[in-house]
Amino acid sequence: MNSLSKDYRDIIEKLKKEIGSENLIGYEIPRPRRIWFSVRKEKLADAITHLVGEGFVHLSTITGLEGENGLEVIYHLNRKGLEASLKVEVPVKQPVLPTITPIIPGAILYEREVHELLGVVFSGHPNLSLLILPEDWPEGVYPLRKKWTHEEIKKKLLRRT
Amino acid sequence: MSSIIKIPFGPQHPAFKEPENFMFKVDGEYVVDVTPRIGYAHRGIEKALEARTYILDLYLIERICGICSHAHTTCYTQAVEEALKVDVPPRAKYIRTIVTELERIHNHYFWLGIVAHEIGFETLFMYTWRDREIVMDLLELLSGNRVQYAMNMIGGVRRDITPEISSEIMKGVKVLGERMKYYKKTCSNERTILTRSVNVGILKTKDAIALCAVGPTVRASNVKRDVRADDPYAAYDEIPFHVVTYDGCDVASRIATRCDEVVESVEIIRYALEHLPTGSIEVIVSRLVPPAEIVSRVEAPRGENIHYLRSNGTDKPARYKVRAPTLANLTALCKMLIGGYIADIPVVIAGIDPCFCCMDRLTFVNIKNDKTWAWEGEKLRGYGIKWYKKQ
Repeated sequence: MNSLSKDYRDIIEKLKKEIGSENLIGYEIPRPRRIWFSVRKEKLADAITHLVGEGFVHLSTITGLEGENGLEVIYHLNRKGLEASLKVEVPVKQPVLPTITPIIPGAILYEREVHELLGVVFSGHPNLSLLILPEDWPEGVYPLRKKWTHEEIKKKLLRRT
Repeated sequence: MSSIIKIPFGPQHPAFKEPENFMFKVDGEYVVDVTPRIGYAHRGIEKALEARTYILDLYLIERICGICSHAHTTCYTQAVEEALKVDVPPRAKYIRTIVTELERIHNHYFWLGIVAHEIGFETLFMYTWRDREIVMDLLELLSGNRVQYAMNMIGGVRRDITPEISSEIMKGVKVLGERMKYYKKTCSNERTILTRSVNVGILKTKDAIALCAVGPTVRASNVKRDVRADDPYAAYDEIPFHVVTYDGCDVASRIATRCDEVVESVEIIRYALEHLPTGSIEVIVSRLVPPAEIVSRVEAPRGENIHYLRSNGTDKPARYKVRAPTLANLTALCKMLIGGYIADIPVVIAGIDPCFCCMDRLTFVNIKNDKTWAWEGEKLRGYGIKWYKKQ
């Protein structure tokens, strides 16, 4: 466990050095094989590039959610079972993040999913057309935002017809 | 391009097995580009999970997939148990492992039959689906159900393995392992299968890594990535097993990988039954889950399955995210199809073991004259078989 935690501290120190300690908002090691990072959204691309260079080449998925302070996007990166989850916060008013598809091409569908269900715009993404929702889905209805309850979505869909 | 997708037909058509849409651009017999359009079966489960309690969610999670239902509930119960800081009894962990591996055997037998069907080798299809009954009977004996076993609960498992059931499982898996060795020999010698699978649907190692492929698909491209070994859960840290990899990067390697995985699963089940710990199979847990953020992963038969849970102290999750393996392999699938023949489309798509099972509707665009036409999966399958007969 000791050598393991040293390894984890190394990863954290290197990331801190790469993006600057003021841009790494927080980190946590809740149990073996799990690390959580929270970074400023301006440094997202740099942080991902650095972690990919450190061997975290596998992106398991991207989770989007609406928390108390706005939208949160979590990148689940992986290196041989060591799961590094990188969290960025984006304001609801202007939910824009840079795309990471040039760094990890496998992110292409995950970004589209977060875009459709939560309304986060990934600037520079090659194709943000609809992937999951129907073509006639009303604009501005992001089903995974807390404001859009089942009843609200139903009302909106009924009003449309 | 967008006008082409709108065909006044389907996708909820009685002739389709599962609704899905791929738009292909073709030049003669070659596929030049492909665009997937998913979501016809999107049921809004993630949103629904937020409106239900953790106990009710277990039933919903079980129904995400008809075949890897146990993989999803294992992932879910693991996440909730971690948030609750509960340790599951060792016996329950072993039983979870045994059901997981039985499910993998079931899935791989099922898949081999589908691949055989897609390439028109109906004999192998019939043989594998006959043998699949053995594992389904074992699952029924163990859980009471042929599919959706409902074995997992938060804090353990619902049913115990008695010595009688244990000996029945031992007998059954022995047959399954031997039969699969025979099918693997057939698949690596039979000319029909070799012609349709060797050098078909190539996914190079570097592409497999860059496109974040998972499961047998990535292991057939010579990447040793398996959650059971890398990030052990249930009883996998105590059970010795090999991670099967092949370096052919084609459909033939994907067949070989899955055949060997079945043999490996048989060994895991045998070891787990022989070393089954004694004791209880469940612990009583609280209905309120303290605030936490959990990432839970399991190796489903089709590949890495990842769930994310954020709890907030109530009896309902604040957010629950599910990523099933087919979505992870979809980008890699598009890569495999480009540059291949139209006739190879069914077997390449079946090769990743997609959860939408069979292709439902295709749109073709001939880039020379911009002509478009649409095919159903069944018609394309017939076209592929005929095309190869002519060669």
